[in-house]
Amino acid sequence: MAKLWAIIKREYLERVRSKWFLIATFFGPVFFSAIIIVPAWLASRSKATSDVYNTVILDATGAGFGHRLALNIAGDTTNAERIPIVRLVPPSELTAAESVATREVMHKEHTGYIVVNQQTLAGESARYAGTNATSIADMAQIKNAIHNTILASRLEKVGLDNEKMKEITFIPLDFSTERITERGRAGSGMASVLFGFAIGFLLYMSIVIYGQTIMSGVLEEKTTRVAEVVMSSVPTDSLLAGKVLGVGAVGLTQQVIWIGMTYFLLKLRAPIMARLGAPTVNFSLPSISLGAGIIFLLFFLLGFIFYSSLYAAVGSSVNSESEARQAASPLMIMIVSTGVFIQPVLLNPTGTMSKVLSLIPISSPIIMPIRMAVTGVPALELGGSLVFLAIGCLLALWLASRIYRVGLLMYGKRPTMKEMARWVSYAR
Amino acid sequence: MTEYAIDIVNISKRYDEHVAVRDLTLRVPKGSVYGLLGPNGAGKTTTIRMILNIIAPDTGSIHIFGRPSNDPKITERLGYLPEERGLYRKMQVRRVLKFLAELKGVRGSDAEKRIDQWLERLSLKTPEKDWGLAKIDELSRGMQQKVQFIGTLLHEPDLVILDEPFSGLDPINAQALKDTVVELKQAGKTVIFSTHLMENAERLCDSVCIIARGEKVLDGDIDEVKEEHGQRNIALSLEGDGMAGIATILRDHSLVKRADDSNRFFEIELAPGADPQALLRRIVESGASVQRFEMIQPSLHQIFLQKVGATGIEEGMTGNG
Repeated sequence: MAKLWAIIKREYLERVRSKWFLIATFFGPVFFSAIIIVPAWLASRSKATSDVYNTVILDATGAGFGHRLALNIAGDTTNAERIPIVRLVPPSELTAAESVATREVMHKEHTGYIVVNQQTLAGESARYAGTNATSIADMAQIKNAIHNTILASRLEKVGLDNEKMKEITFIPLDFSTERITERGRAGSGMASVLFGFAIGFLLYMSIVIYGQTIMSGVLEEKTTRVAEVVMSSVPTDSLLAGKVLGVGAVGLTQQVIWIGMTYFLLKLRAPIMARLGAPTVNFSLPSISLGAGIIFLLFFLLGFIFYSSLYAAVGSSVNSESEARQAASPLMIMIVSTGVFIQPVLLNPTGTMSKVLSLIPISSPIIMPIRMAVTGVPALELGGSLVFLAIGCLLALWLASRIYRVGLLMYGKRPTMKEMARWVSYAR
Repeated sequence: MTEYAIDIVNISKRYDEHVAVRDLTLRVPKGSVYGLLGPNGAGKTTTIRMILNIIAPDTGSIHIFGRPSNDPKITERLGYLPEERGLYRKMQVRRVLKFLAELKGVRGSDAEKRIDQWLERLSLKTPEKDWGLAKIDELSRGMQQKVQFIGTLLHEPDLVILDEPFSGLDPINAQALKDTVVELKQAGKTVIFSTHLMENAERLCDSVCIIARGEKVLDGDIDEVKEEHGQRNIALSLEGDGMAGIATILRDHSLVKRADDSNRFFEIELAPGADPQALLRRIVESGASVQRFEMIQPSLHQIFLQKVGATGIEEGMTGNG
């Protein structure tokens, strides 16, 4: 036990002390929160840019539609800067007025211009031309304003007074979404998808990064022949176990720091967003019960053992980094193809595909936690998934330890699959 | 208590069609320096790995100090220096050494003390510079060899196994290694090393075992081995360039079984039943001026060639260990 501990300790301390670990661990959350904050900031910008206020309305209706539209776009009529300029244009001079407006937009005096005419009054058509014509949010707001102004004009025609009209057309709808699971309401739907994605991404990254870490660690011990010295002191299985556990502990440490820092940064998110001048979006993290947390941890550990033991086997069977990259490609394909399914599973977490993927040990360590994050998973499926994964782990460990103990002592050419299969049958 | 440090009985190891070691029996007396000799691919490394319990023999038994070789307590009494050397490149020297000591069951505080002693002894730690705090890959090759050597001996093993210890050593480190082997023997430790360099073996070993193609060719006390194969060898050196003149004599198989050009002198193995005086007479008659004509014990090298033969060496060149 003391010797296994010595191996775990070495693997852990040497990696945690490395510069790369410190950089990845402490800049990771900064990077992740940038991923969360920047899109939110961009989204808040696209909500309604001030561009829409800097438009010119060419009013050819002759019915004062332009002024009403301007007030509608401004929303807040006390702020004069937000009210677009209105030019009353006779229908015959519209073309000339448009060329003037186009030139003004080209000289960046305005963002764009809206053309309203009789067809607009009839609710048939309106036109917009401007630099921001591709901005979905801006166009939606302008369209909405025109729509509301038409509605208001019609209501006025049927004899509604101004106050009543405002009362009817004022609909400041805030559409919030919330997910319901077996355990009740579970917070914002968007948040849980984001959360599920974060979990999946984290597991995916850890498996890829730490699997390869183990592989190159094994390869280093083989090429430097340290492995022989260690094997003369401890059983090969202890060396393998010590490696997997030591590197696994490094991964766990990193994740705990990442999750802790991300949590902290998300708490700071509101002040940061406020500083950036973006409106605060109500964003509450879904709460995770202790039980779910333990199950996540279990999936991480089992998934990690499954892949890292196979990576160790690959590392022991080759003689150089370039050979290792080639030999590891089947494992990489297994992981990457799982990664490809993250999004479809997020979109349809209860579909047959999601269910199947969360039972296969190759993909379940990543897919099942995602499903758990976004939807309720029946206990039977959860249990089955864990049992299959545990069996998969035992198989992988058995296979890996047999390849490992032969491979570490074999130098020279890279073994074929057939030779490796024969190694498995070798007695020690 | 047994008198053997290593007691190997009839071990075999087979990989598919290839037999690495066949029916090998050998005994290493306690406190001796033992040479495991053989061409490349003879099965030396496989034998050493079995002694170290890195791999298990298919058949046969290995006892070390009277205990089965898979006894965990036994591994702590062994020190091993593998043929090709290397250490964790990015790791600090002291930490590597401490790790290796811990694997052998040495407590951390004891290890620290011994590391200091060894580093100072091999001048890796001087008042000016403490290489113990450097990373392995900052060290020169010679220094790395020293560190690895410390790692082998740090836990004060009773049995030290060195696989081709002289390969790649600079002359200074080679001398240090020889001195240490002598010291270990004086301290009552057993040293077993494999080599294909017969000169080192001849100078250092008390006993030897020659193996080829996975099988034992001969073993025993080095003096006895020589005795058995001795007295039929002659060291001959001539003045000037008279060598060409005696070439025909050396090819006469009624007199000479084998002649080996050692540059400064010829080492000649007489044919069975041949009279050394007859050979001397022939050489003098040929007009060569004899500087030295001496009956000698055969060198280990000669015994090796005689027993294993050139073919054994050639065949062995392709394999591994």
